[in-house]
Amino acid sequence: MPTNLQAGESDAVGQRRWVWPGFALPGVVWLLLLFVVPFYAIFAVAMGHTDPIFNRPVPEWNPIYWDTSSFSRVLHDLFGGQLGTIAVRTIVYVAIASLICLIIGYPVAYFVSRRSGRHRGLWLLLILAPFWINYLMRMMAWINLLSPGAQVDQVFFFLGLDPPAWLAGHPFVVILGLVYGYIPFLILPLFGALDRIDESTLEASRDLGASPARTFWRVTLPLSKQGILAGLVIIMLPMFGDYYTPNLLSGSPRTVMLGNTIDQFINQTTSQGGVGAALTIILMMFVAVLMAYYLVTINRATKEARE
Amino acid sequence: MAYHPRENWSPQHRKRVYTRRDFLQRAALLGIALPALPSLLAACAEREGEGGVELAIGTPSSPVQQPLFDDNQAIESGLPQEDGPLQIYNWADYINPEMIPVIEEGIGASVEITTFFNEEEAIQKLSSGEVQYDVWFPTSQVVPKSVAGKLIQPLNLEYVPNLEQYVWPSMANPYYDQGSRYTVPYVLYSTGIAWRIDQVDSADIEGQPNAYEVFWNDEYAGITGLYDSYTDAMAMALFRNGIANPAAASEEEVTAAADSLIELVDLMNIRYTIDGAYVQIPEGRMGLHQAWSGDIINSQYYFPEGADISVIRYAWPATIEGTTVNGAISSDTMAVPFGAQRPVLAHKFLDFMLEESNALLNFEWLGYQPPQKGIDADLLVADGWVPDFLAPGIVREEDFTLDTSWVQGQLDLATETLWATQWNRVKSGG
Repeated sequence: MPTNLQAGESDAVGQRRWVWPGFALPGVVWLLLLFVVPFYAIFAVAMGHTDPIFNRPVPEWNPIYWDTSSFSRVLHDLFGGQLGTIAVRTIVYVAIASLICLIIGYPVAYFVSRRSGRHRGLWLLLILAPFWINYLMRMMAWINLLSPGAQVDQVFFFLGLDPPAWLAGHPFVVILGLVYGYIPFLILPLFGALDRIDESTLEASRDLGASPARTFWRVTLPLSKQGILAGLVIIMLPMFGDYYTPNLLSGSPRTVMLGNTIDQFINQTTSQGGVGAALTIILMMFVAVLMAYYLVTINRATKEARE
Repeated sequence: MAYHPRENWSPQHRKRVYTRRDFLQRAALLGIALPALPSLLAACAEREGEGGVELAIGTPSSPVQQPLFDDNQAIESGLPQEDGPLQIYNWADYINPEMIPVIEEGIGASVEITTFFNEEEAIQKLSSGEVQYDVWFPTSQVVPKSVAGKLIQPLNLEYVPNLEQYVWPSMANPYYDQGSRYTVPYVLYSTGIAWRIDQVDSADIEGQPNAYEVFWNDEYAGITGLYDSYTDAMAMALFRNGIANPAAASEEEVTAAADSLIELVDLMNIRYTIDGAYVQIPEGRMGLHQAWSGDIINSQYYFPEGADISVIRYAWPATIEGTTVNGAISSDTMAVPFGAQRPVLAHKFLDFMLEESNALLNFEWLGYQPPQKGIDADLLVADGWVPDFLAPGIVREEDFTLDTSWVQGQLDLATETLWATQWNRVKSGG
C-alpha cells in the first residue's frame, strides 16, 4: 500500500526533523528560565515605580506603564556626573588588573604547558588550588595578612622598608585584590590554548631559521591569541561586576566601582532600586558589547583557520 | 551586495560573515533604540497615581498610637499554644546562642532562627509574602511603615504580662507605638564615637562642644571610619553641621551635610564599614569610628588574645558636658508578622524574652542593652557587665528625653528619598 508507506516515510522524516533541534530544548528552557525571565524582571524593576509605603522599587511588568526616569537618570549621571567617574575608574581598574593578570599569567601558562615536563599535573593542581577556597574567604585572609603589623608588614620590616597602610583605601590594593582573585581563571584557558599549539609549527619556524624569540612572536603568540582573549573575557566580565573586593580591601569612596554602586542602590538605599536596576542593565549592555566583540573575533579566526 | 574575496559566499555558505563594522553598527542602533522604546510606550499610558500614605511617626515629645485595621486583628485571649518549631526572623548574631535551649525549655517548643542581612531585605521578603515567620525583630524606625503596610499584626498583651512587670515604663508604652499595639521593645542603643586612646587623643572628643569635628581632624586620616548606613552617617554629618533635628533638615542642609561627608574622602581617606567599631578598632585597623553603643560594649570580646582592651573608649556627644550638638538614640523591637502560623507561641516568646533573667542572659552575650527596670545602669559597671571605661555606652532611661538627644525614628518618605539620593553621592566620592 503505497500511500501508507509514503505516510510512514514522511513521519520518519518529520521525526528526524525534530530530533536534532530537540537537543536544544534543555538549553532553551535553561536560557528562558535563568536568563530571559530574570533579565525581564530586572528590566521591569528599572522601568517600575516606587512603593508608597515601603519606598522600595516595584517592578512594572506591563510595558505600557514603563517609566524611563531611572534610565535617563543613570545616563545623565554617566555622561558628566559622578557615575561617569566611577565607570571610568571601573574600566581603568579592570584594564590594569587584566593586564597584570596577563603579564603574570602568560608566562605561568606557558611554563606549565610547555616546560613543566612530568610535573605538569602538579603545577595545574597548584594553580587550581585557590578555586577550592571561597573567594570571600580568600579576601578575608588577605585582610588578616595586610592588617597593620601582620605578616605582610613583617616582611617589609624585615627588609627595612616602611609598609604602606594597606587597608586604608588604596586603589592599588583593590587592583591587586582583583588580580589575585581572578588570575587562575585567565591561566586555565591560556594553558589550554598554548597546550593545543602543534609542536611541529614551532619546529618548522626554527627549521626555517627563526630565533626562539622570533618564533614566540610570530608563531606562539598569534596562535595563543584566542586563549588570551578567552581568558581576558572570563576575568573581565566578573571584574566589572565585582563589589566585594573594593568593599573588603578598601571601603573608601575613592575606590568605589560600578558593582558597589549597584549594590548601594539596591541593597542600602532601596528607594533607589530602580536606578540600580537601570545601571545593571547598562553595565550588562557594555559587557555584552565586549563579549560580542570576543565572539566576532573568535568566529573570524575560526573561519580563517578553516581556509 | 559586494563580498570580499576572502569571505565565504558560495551557495552552501551563504550565511553572511559578521564583521566588526556590522557589529558596531548594530550595537549602536540597539543602544539608541532600546532606551527610546519605553518612552514611546510610556507616552501611550500612565499608571493611575498611587497617593502617598500617612505614616504615624512618633517622638518622645509627641508620641503616637499606631492605627488598627479591620483586616489585621490581634489574636483572641486564651487560645491554646501551637506546636513548634517557632520560626524567628532576626539579624545575624542578634540573640545569645546559649539562650536557644533556655528559650526552647521556657516556651515548650523548638526554635528555628533565619537571619536577614539588612532591614531592607527583611521588609522586601516579608512584604512579598515569600517568607512566613512567627517573630520578627524590626527597628523602631520601621515600625510605622510596617504597620501601614500590614507586615506585622497587633499584639494581645494579655499574653505578654512581663512587658509591664519588667520593662521601663517609657518603653512599655513607647513613643513610636503607644500602648504597645504592635511591638515590644528588645534593646536600646545610642550612636556615638569610638576610638583607641593609643591612636587618638581623647581630648579631641571629650570636652569638645562639637565632638563630631574629630571626624574632620586630618591628624587621624587613614584610621577613621563611619558606618556604611546612610541614616547613621548622614545624621552624624547633620549634627556636626549644627542641625538639632536631622529628620526635619531642609534639602539645602541635607545637601550641605552630604558635601561635608564628601570632604572626608580626601581629607581623611574615610572608610565606610559595618564592622569598623566592634572588629576593626579592637584589631587596630581603625583608630576612630562611629559606633553604636551595643557594638562598643561587645567590642571587648573582639580584641586579639592578650591585647589590652582598656585602649578603647566611647563617647555619646549628647552627654558630653558643654556640648552644642545632639546625639542619636534608638531602640529595636520584637513583633509578630502578619499571617504568622504560630501567633500564640510567638506571644509567649516575646513574654519570655522580656523576663528579667532572660533579658540579662541575652545582654551578657549581645552587648545591646534591654530596657529592663531591674538593670541599674551604675550596677552594670560595678557588677562587671560593662568595663568602667565603656560606661558611656550604657543607655539610661532619661537619655531618651535629654535636650541633646535625637530619638532616631522613621524618616518620612520624601526625606528618606532625599537622604538616599545624597548618600549615593557621598558613597560615589562626590
